[in-house]
Amino acid sequence: MANATLSYDVLVVGAGIAGLQASLDLADQGRKVLLVEKQPSIGGRMINLSKVFPTLDCASCITTPRMASVAHHPNIDTRTFAELKGLRREDGRFRATLRQKARFVDGARCIGCRSCEEACPVLVPDEYEHGLGARKAIRIPFTNAIPQLALLDMDHCTLCGLCARACPTDCIDFLQKDADTEVEAGAVILATGHELTRMDAKPHYGGARLPNVLSPMQAERLLAPHGAYGRVLRPSDGRIPDSIAYVQCAGSRDRSLGVPYCSRVCCMFAAKQAMLLSGSLPTADITIYYMDIRAFGKGYEQFVANARAMGIHFVKAKVARVTEDADHNPVVRLERQEDRGLPEEVTHDLVVLSLGMLPGADPVLEDFAGVRAAPDGFLESPQAPLAPARTSQPGVFAAGTATGPKDIVDSITEAGSAAMEAVGFLRRLGEGRP
Amino acid sequence: MTEKNFNAVREQLKLAKERRGPAPAGLVEEVKEQARTQKAVLEALDKGPLTVPELAAAAGLSPRKALWWVTALRKYGRVAEGPKRGAYLSYAKNAEKP
Repeated sequence: MANATLSYDVLVVGAGIAGLQASLDLADQGRKVLLVEKQPSIGGRMINLSKVFPTLDCASCITTPRMASVAHHPNIDTRTFAELKGLRREDGRFRATLRQKARFVDGARCIGCRSCEEACPVLVPDEYEHGLGARKAIRIPFTNAIPQLALLDMDHCTLCGLCARACPTDCIDFLQKDADTEVEAGAVILATGHELTRMDAKPHYGGARLPNVLSPMQAERLLAPHGAYGRVLRPSDGRIPDSIAYVQCAGSRDRSLGVPYCSRVCCMFAAKQAMLLSGSLPTADITIYYMDIRAFGKGYEQFVANARAMGIHFVKAKVARVTEDADHNPVVRLERQEDRGLPEEVTHDLVVLSLGMLPGADPVLEDFAGVRAAPDGFLESPQAPLAPARTSQPGVFAAGTATGPKDIVDSITEAGSAAMEAVGFLRRLGEGRP
Repeated sequence: MTEKNFNAVREQLKLAKERRGPAPAGLVEEVKEQARTQKAVLEALDKGPLTVPELAAAAGLSPRKALWWVTALRKYGRVAEGPKRGAYLSYAKNAEKP
């Protein structure tokens, strides 16, 4: 008997916080959802954060239950380590091609015991810790990953077989291949998230070259309770830093990078990280070099005021370059935009570059789904003022940072909007008037 | 693992090596170097807890690499955080698993 194509009410692409929320909102209304995530775990960027602004809730503590709700919901099927390779409309419904990438592990038999990881002799810089920590060639992606399935990185595997010999369920499959499957759905929600500008996008800021110049996500992992070091240490020598600086707009509001827009979250995450650093290192000096502080959400202005009251130095200045001295201390050359405004150089122990947000959606989406991107590269919202979750293609909706930079609160709000739009579209489809 | 499954793994590895070709020479050398470095780090810590700069000097590594190694070994339970010394933490070797 030929395999029937699996059919769903809604296909949700991307299992970050927006995709998770949209899936739950749909599934709780009785809609059948397929949630597809290209990473090996659901959770997106939020599960990688230390705490969230402005409440300073532990990100892992509030994201993990939502991930578990999705994983256990009877109306949601989840496919991780899978990519959308094609999407077309046929007879009023969407037909999607999904590529399940090879984990080299039989997911039905893996019990997540980590025996393979213990046995593996190959250490690799850990992507989850943004290079600060290490992982094995075969590993569970991170402690609270869902699903808890091992994943073998064949590019770093010597085929020594130690993992297979240690596995109690014989689930390692060195011959596994990528597999394409077809699914159909009545509507699609794109929650494809964002990327960050490259650390070396502005080479004169020293990113990716100077060891103590970090990305904001690396700083999150310094602050996370189960982060790479378990402490705030500088990568060059493990010293506890005394002086930390943030360079704002290090990847946004910059036409030379093709990123003229504001990334909307950097002021707040810098203030948040500064407050957390101040808590971890009470005697450290923490400085934020900024152009403008844009604290526009509910409670955000008060949050920044609290940061100032805690002794965080907010310095209105434009940073020209970051170099380092012989001890790898970053040296920030800047021009203050207040007082006399003369150039000066300030030495810190650590510098964090507030990178900008870039579109995360695969540009080929436009080819196969007819979903247009706006000039900034994010998905176009042609009816933005009244229906921001609608894209240029009827039946395809967008949530979260797929349509532009936004914070977690706004991403969750938009996810609910996208879910309601999809339900309305399905109802009209059922009535023969899509 | 049963003898039958052990043979199945050997057969799979043989086929995987035929499909992929031999492991890249650079990767094999890197794994050997990792084994040597891990041995040097753990031997240096045999003498007692060390800070990252002390470990770097004892094991012949850059301080940055020494931190990466204690981070890796701490994650896999071979090393534990020791007392703070000045602006640095110290790291001690954990007892071998039985």
